[in-house]
Amino acid sequence: MVDLIPRPDRYGENGPDLETVNGLIQARIDGAISRRGLIRRAAAIGIAAPVVGVMLHATSDMVRGAASPGRANALRRLAQDGGPASAEAPTAPEGEAQTGGTITAGTNQEPDTLHPYVSQTVTAADVYYGIMDGLMTYDSNQQLIPRLAESFEISDDGLSYTFQLREGVQFHNGDAFSGEDVVAVWEIIMNPDFGAFNQNGWDKIEDITVDGNQLTMTTGEVFAPFMSYCGVERISPRSAIEAGIDPFKQEFGRAPIGTGPFQFVEWQPDQQIVVEKFENYWGEPANLDRIIYRIVPDDNTMLVQLRTGEIQVVASASALTAIRVEEALDIPGLNVLEHATQSWAHIDLKQWDHLRMTKVRQALDFATPTQDIVDRLLEGRALVSVADQAPGTWAYNPNIEPRPYDLEQAKALLAEAGLTPGSDGVYEGRVPTDDPNVGDGEVKPLDIELWFVSGNVESERVCQIVAQSWNSIGVKTTVLNQDISTIWGPEGYQFTERMTGCLYSWFNGNDPTDRFYWHSEEIPDSPTGSGGNLPAYFHEYSFQDKIDELTDAADATPVQEERKAVFDQIQELLHEEVPVIFIYWEKAFPAAIANLGGFWPSPFNYLLWNANEWYLTQ
Amino acid sequence: MTRFLIRRLLGAVPLLLGVAILSFIFMQLAPGGPDALFARNARMSQEQLDAIRRNMGLDRPTHEQLFTWLGNLATGDLGISYTQYRPVSAVIWDTVPNTLLLMGTGMLISLVAALTFGILAAQKPYGFFDNVVSFVSYFGLAMPVFWFGLMLQILFAVRLGWLPSAGMYSATGGGIGDLLRHLALPAFTIAIGSIAGWSRYVRSSTIESLGQDYVRTARAKGLAERKMMLGHVLRNALIPFVTVVGIDVPLYLTGAVLTETVFSWPGMGRLFYDALTVRDYPVLMGILMLGAVFIVAGNLIADILYGVFDPRISYG
Repeated sequence: MVDLIPRPDRYGENGPDLETVNGLIQARIDGAISRRGLIRRAAAIGIAAPVVGVMLHATSDMVRGAASPGRANALRRLAQDGGPASAEAPTAPEGEAQTGGTITAGTNQEPDTLHPYVSQTVTAADVYYGIMDGLMTYDSNQQLIPRLAESFEISDDGLSYTFQLREGVQFHNGDAFSGEDVVAVWEIIMNPDFGAFNQNGWDKIEDITVDGNQLTMTTGEVFAPFMSYCGVERISPRSAIEAGIDPFKQEFGRAPIGTGPFQFVEWQPDQQIVVEKFENYWGEPANLDRIIYRIVPDDNTMLVQLRTGEIQVVASASALTAIRVEEALDIPGLNVLEHATQSWAHIDLKQWDHLRMTKVRQALDFATPTQDIVDRLLEGRALVSVADQAPGTWAYNPNIEPRPYDLEQAKALLAEAGLTPGSDGVYEGRVPTDDPNVGDGEVKPLDIELWFVSGNVESERVCQIVAQSWNSIGVKTTVLNQDISTIWGPEGYQFTERMTGCLYSWFNGNDPTDRFYWHSEEIPDSPTGSGGNLPAYFHEYSFQDKIDELTDAADATPVQEERKAVFDQIQELLHEEVPVIFIYWEKAFPAAIANLGGFWPSPFNYLLWNANEWYLTQ
Repeated sequence: MTRFLIRRLLGAVPLLLGVAILSFIFMQLAPGGPDALFARNARMSQEQLDAIRRNMGLDRPTHEQLFTWLGNLATGDLGISYTQYRPVSAVIWDTVPNTLLLMGTGMLISLVAALTFGILAAQKPYGFFDNVVSFVSYFGLAMPVFWFGLMLQILFAVRLGWLPSAGMYSATGGGIGDLLRHLALPAFTIAIGSIAGWSRYVRSSTIESLGQDYVRTARAKGLAERKMMLGHVLRNALIPFVTVVGIDVPLYLTGAVLTETVFSWPGMGRLFYDALTVRDYPVLMGILMLGAVFIVAGNLIADILYGVFDPRISYG
């Protein structure tokens, strides 16, 4: 069995056997060997490459940012003098820690439901992470740490996972936790009548067997990210699941039951959700008595309430955005933190007319004052982006320089693409027909609609800056907006026969795979179809074959060093071809009253993930 | 009177049915849909997207969806919310009393203030008090709710610390006193616009009544000024005013959206706005129907009040 708690001292005469899958995983968790050492050793003893992928997920090495010194350095570099402090470790205010007390956290958005298998909102996970446990969970260093499972073992063929379950764990309703609960969770998630939001990982399981405190999940194929899905899924009591699909979906979602350090008390719709300390928690019971999660829809009101002390914590889904930080720093007694996110703001450039020409897109990139947007509008509280992998993560290619803001270069490129300023100063020229990079069709003006999702103040300001710059060189740009359900619906800009750009953000997941943004199979086949490759809806990219090949290769390569080489090439290609204009990596700014200790927010987990460790000082 | 009521209530049924069908059609015609956010999630597979559409009933033709919805409505079933996974009636019912409380208090404040200011201003048209009331009225009409609300919060919650800035109850709970303290700022915010408008109405209809022959007669026979104002002038001036208030009831419902958002008030306006953003059709239909019921009821009450204020009106 692999122990999830690192113990570097166990390496001596009787240390783990470095000839086995689990021995290597244990040694890596304990820090006795490096990631590279594990891969080398695994290759030496003949472990198949896909199984190495499984092992690297179990050691948390495969997931983004884990154990990467580059990441910590990048975070440290980001911290500005007098600005927010980097959220590298739990807060530790001076003064004596108290037991008891109440904390009021705030959110802009009410959770849709508190049901972990149905909810689509981060704000719901922010609450149920305090109420429910998984077999394991990610800490803020993105390392798997034990919860309902104490240790695990992976079979040599990478197909079965055995968990040693913790004994004496009680649900809030008094039920004893056992492997049968996990079986029931698997069954309900896979039940098509239930309609789970996500079946990732669970759909790979063929059988689950329970033998006392040992639970074995057997998969039909080697699936590397299995642990990062099923290993951290929240576990519900079997009795609640067996109450029937409708009660479990509707009632459980309004009053969830788990094994976590806090138990659900009440949910007053549109007002607040209250949880309180669970005395029979299996681990160290919480310091705080109560946590109240208040719903405050308006941004300005949230700042007012942080000032009056009516709200004491904002993080995760409700963390402050860059343009609010200056005001928050001004609030006495408020500790504003910052951490990187996996979210990149960019402008889609739809493959239509002139925008199909690489030179035109490159020209627009030269004419976009990215550095200015980051430095002036966002006051340095974001990172300029050049491609789709975040700085500080292992897949990031540090050798790409952003294009400088250079209007002359932009004009030169437009001229090379065959465009000339018309009588009204707006560039015009022949649009491509067959070959995307050759203008041989009718003459049209370079007239672009630039869209953003209404209500997003940051996007609106960025669009205005970009439009002003593009207009200044003779690219006619009109800023427009629509609400979120319209802009992503079948009548949205993606499906209109015009030149359009749209500013929004993609969120990268635990694994750096980026196939769903660029691959030809991800082009929606109709305006109601699925798929993330929107710009290529009317015409594929001129480099479509190449990006297809690279993104497929990245998914088929389990060994990180080789994968990184592929991602490096993808990023170079994206920077060269500018399918979208990369603008910035967002940062998040959690904040809490200065006398709250143990508070450790990160992009890898949710608000209440370690709330049992929170404490107030005098 | 009873026959009048029955006739009006029966007449409301086809009206409400028409509202139901029209709002259903308009909602379907509006761009976007409840599945848009799912469709544009890059990690969503086509199979999962189809399953979600099936669960929502979006895979069936529009007219079939409408008839199912109407059939369920006849049995009192408003359906299940797309986003909250619980019955629409429960979702809406959680917010209705809160909105009615806020609206009711706001209207009460407006009525008292508008009547007082309007009558006083009418005493001496274009006098000093009238000019002050006019100025304040235009200010109140022109002020955006979100800005005025924020100013009240900064003044009363941050600077003075007298009142809580937002919410309906304190986080740790509270009784009726706590509720009233939370109610003060949003109720005043929602009232300010109609105080301005309504006091102008009361002022002009009072001035008009004051010029009537019966007022001169009343004055000539030596009726006390106060008695004359309340018994003759005001009573006549109120008839057009009641119409205006009746028409404004739906405005209060829509105006509640911003106030409820700024003050985190758990009301129907906010629910409607949130449901609209994600196209939660069942919730939207439920609220639209309830809104139609409110408007019908508001007009009916106004009609009944005409009779109370003016005995010449009969309900034959």
